[in-house]
Amino acid sequence: MTDITPFPDVVNLAVPLFIAAILAELLWIVIKGRGGRYETRDALTSLIMGAGNVASGILLGFVAYGFFMVLWNISPLDLGTSIGVIALCFVLDDLRYYWVHRFGHRIRWVWASHVNHHSSQHYNLTTALRQTWTGTFTFMMVVRAPLILLGFHPGMVLFVGGLNLIYQFWIHTEAIGRMPRWFEAVMNTPSHHRVHHGRNPRYLDCNYAGVFIIWDKMFGTFVPELEEDKVDFGLVRNLGTFNPIRVAFHEWISIFRDATQPGLTWRERLKYCVMPPGWSHDGSRETSTAIKARFLADHPENTGTPGFPLNR
Amino acid sequence: MPLSILLPMVVVGIACIAVLLHLLGLSRRATLPDTAAARAAWLREFPADAPIHVTLCDNRSAALIATETRRGVVWPMGADTTARYLTGARARRTKTGLRLNLPDYTAPQIHLALDPDEVAAWQDALKETA
Repeated sequence: MTDITPFPDVVNLAVPLFIAAILAELLWIVIKGRGGRYETRDALTSLIMGAGNVASGILLGFVAYGFFMVLWNISPLDLGTSIGVIALCFVLDDLRYYWVHRFGHRIRWVWASHVNHHSSQHYNLTTALRQTWTGTFTFMMVVRAPLILLGFHPGMVLFVGGLNLIYQFWIHTEAIGRMPRWFEAVMNTPSHHRVHHGRNPRYLDCNYAGVFIIWDKMFGTFVPELEEDKVDFGLVRNLGTFNPIRVAFHEWISIFRDATQPGLTWRERLKYCVMPPGWSHDGSRETSTAIKARFLADHPENTGTPGFPLNR
Repeated sequence: MPLSILLPMVVVGIACIAVLLHLLGLSRRATLPDTAAARAAWLREFPADAPIHVTLCDNRSAALIATETRRGVVWPMGADTTARYLTGARARRTKTGLRLNLPDYTAPQIHLALDPDEVAAWQDALKETA
């Protein structure tokens, strides 16, 4: 079983592409006067978050890679590195991404890491780079364990994960409306992902896909972009700071403050860490489910429309 | 990619994009053209707590909000806005207006450009809130 990985770090190699594409999108918006918005401090924060994500990968990447190599060394399976195996690994890793991303919105401990990606009120290619600095601490690397144990080399798994991230870069734009129907049916697109970044009650907690939107359709979390409900980007409660340190750590601080407040049972302290964002022991806050329910109480005509299933 | 190439590329790339955005005039902060806009900006953050009174500051950069039970503030976040309740806020007069310190890690400080008369009114409102 070989420990030599022939796979490059594609995300780092794509950095020049990211910079060129951002400049191209900006030029398009400025010349055409449509297709999205840019704002200096917002974009700067997003880009610094992206640089910090690369730095955290360099500093902490050994934790996940070490874990994967331990699994690789105990696995009796080795599927090799043929094109077919890489393609299969890409698809299975995209399924892995779907679930990690879904956990990232439904488990506060994981949301604490992912929230910064949603913290911009803009939606442009710099938003794609507004990535976490604290992903290692979510322990979501365990969701990749089955792939390694099945015989996919850790280097290959990280390689296809990098390709997945690069694919997701271009869908963070308002400059592209809709792709051809067949493409929209199978692939994650700017339209589908705009919905995912929406703070409208209809668009909360949906479209978790990385590359293939079929996972959302299979698992019942797909919501289409509706003309009559224009996507409002950002968080349910938007941040009042552009400070990257606060953007990166605010939800972790919030978890700590909630879980250590006096008078709680240990069960309640644990729930502040693992229940969906917005959960509180006294019901004083709103989860996405409560937000949708309140919206439907005010707008019952939306019941049964996308994002507001009848059984909620 | 070696760090000796990646690091300068990232730093220069970020700096160039930021400078370009500024030169293109994309650093302008949002303004609140009227009380309806301030009200809408508040409801965007707190849809279940409608304002009963909105005090827009003269330069239209922020608004003091009163709801049935609490007071809050709407202010620009770059080209957009956000809002917070003023519970626990501490105000300090500055050369250009007021600085609000909130007990909120996601919105620790708000700088408000206010006329001297407005400063007094806002400080009175904050005393009522505290």
